Amino acid sequence: MSTIDPRIHEALDGELPTDALPVELRPAAQTVRMAADLLAAPVPGPSLEPRVMAEIRRPAPSLLRRAAGWLATPHAVTLRVRPVWSLALAATAAVFTLFYARDVGPQLGEHEGIAQFVGRFPDARSVHVVGTFNDWRPGTIALEDLRHDGVWSATVVLPTGTYEYMFVVDGERWVPDHLADRLVADDFGRENSVVIVRPVHR
Amino acid sequence: MRLGVALALLSAGVPLVAQSVQGRLEGRIPGEAVPVVDSLVQVALREGLPSEPLVQKALEGGAKQVPAPRIVAAVRASLGQLREAHDLLVRAGDQPPVRPGEVTTVAWALRRKLPPSTIERVVAELPHPPRGPAIHAIADLVAHGFDPDSSAGLIIDAVHDGLQRDRLLDVSTAALHEVQRGRTRDEAIVVVRQELPNVPGPPKPERGTVTRARRPETLTPPRR
Repeated sequence: MSTIDPRIHEALDGELPTDALPVELRPAAQTVRMAADLLAAPVPGPSLEPRVMAEIRRPAPSLLRRAAGWLATPHAVTLRVRPVWSLALAATAAVFTLFYARDVGPQLGEHEGIAQFVGRFPDARSVHVVGTFNDWRPGTIALEDLRHDGVWSATVVLPTGTYEYMFVVDGERWVPDHLADRLVADDFGRENSVVIVRPVHR
Repeated sequence: MRLGVALALLSAGVPLVAQSVQGRLEGRIPGEAVPVVDSLVQVALREGLPSEPLVQKALEGGAKQVPAPRIVAAVRASLGQLREAHDLLVRAGDQPPVRPGEVTTVAWALRRKLPPSTIERVVAELPHPPRGPAIHAIADLVAHGFDPDSSAGLIIDAVHDGLQRDRLLDVSTAALHEVQRGRTRDEAIVVVRQELPNVPGPPKPERGTVTRARRPETLTPPRR
C-alpha cells in the first residue's frame, strides 16, 4: 500500500500553501492535484438533451398508423377460460356440426338417385317397402309415420334403374303402391308397382 | 395351353355361379323349389340370358310366401319371356350374343303388354344406348292408353332430335301431362312432338327430400 506524505494531503486540502512544501514534494503534489482535478471534472456524456428535444418536436403518428403498428406488433394474449365453458363450447360446436351434416344429406354418386315411397295406412303398426332393390327382403327399408297421421313415407338413395316393389304392412299384408305411375303383373296373381330411379340434378 | 386354362376357368365358373345362386335362394324359398330354380338359372346362363330376373322372381315368390309349384312356374315363365325377348332382339337385327340388359328391358316391356312389333321397330331404328330408356318411355305411354305405333314414333323422333337416356322419359311424361290437361292422346302426341327437343325436365327434388334421403344398408344391383 503506497502512502502519501501528510504534507501533500494538507497542501491539497488547502491547509498548507503549495509553496510551503519542500521542493522534492512539489512534483508529487502537482501530479496528485491534476488527478483530483480530472476526477472532479464533469463527464462529457452523449448529447441526450438534443435527442430528447428532437423526439418531443417530432409530430405524433396518426391514429391509423398507430393502429397498424399495434396490429403488426406481436402481443402476448392470455385467455382465462373455465373448463366448464370450454366443454359448453365444444358441445355447441358438435351440435352445430351434427345439424349441419344432417342438412346437407347424403352425397349422391353419378349413378344414384332418390326414391320416395309414400302410402296411407291409418291403422298400420309398421310399413316396409320391399322389392328388387333389396332382394325382396322384408324389414330392410322401413317407412315412418312422422306426423302420426297415417301417412307413411321413406326417402332412400338407390342406384339408378328400374325396380319393382310392394309395401308390406304389419309384416304380413302385401299392398301395391297406388300412387305409382307404373304397375306390372307379378305372375303370382297380383301387381307390383314400378319405380324408375333417375340421377338427381340438384 | 391357353385354351386348356380357359376351359378350366369356364368349367369352374359355372359351379361358382350355381353356388352363389343357391346361397341366395336357400332359406328364402321353399326347399323343394331351390334345385329346380337353380337348374332354370343354369339353363339361362348356358343360353346367354340374364339370370338375375329369375333369381328375383324366385325371391319375390318366397317373400310373398307363394307355394313352391307357383314359384317354379313363375320362374319358368320368366325364362320364357327372356327367351322371347332374346329372339325378338335377334329377329330385329341384333347379332348374338345380345346384351343381357337389353334382354331384360325387352322382357319387361313384353310383360307390360308392349306389342312385339313395336319393340322390333324400336330395336331396328335405334342404336344401343338409348334403346332401354326408349322402350321404357314407350311402355309408359302404351300402359296409359296411347297407341303403340304413335308412341314409338314420338320417342324415335325425340331420339333423332337429340334427346338421350332418361330425357326420353321426360317425353312420355310430357305427353301424360298433356292428357291430364284435357287433350286427347293423339293431340298430346302432336303437341309434344312440336315441343321437341325442349320438353320439361324432371322437377328438382326439394332440399328437404335430399336431406331426408337415407342409404339402405342392403341393396341389390338395379335392373336397367
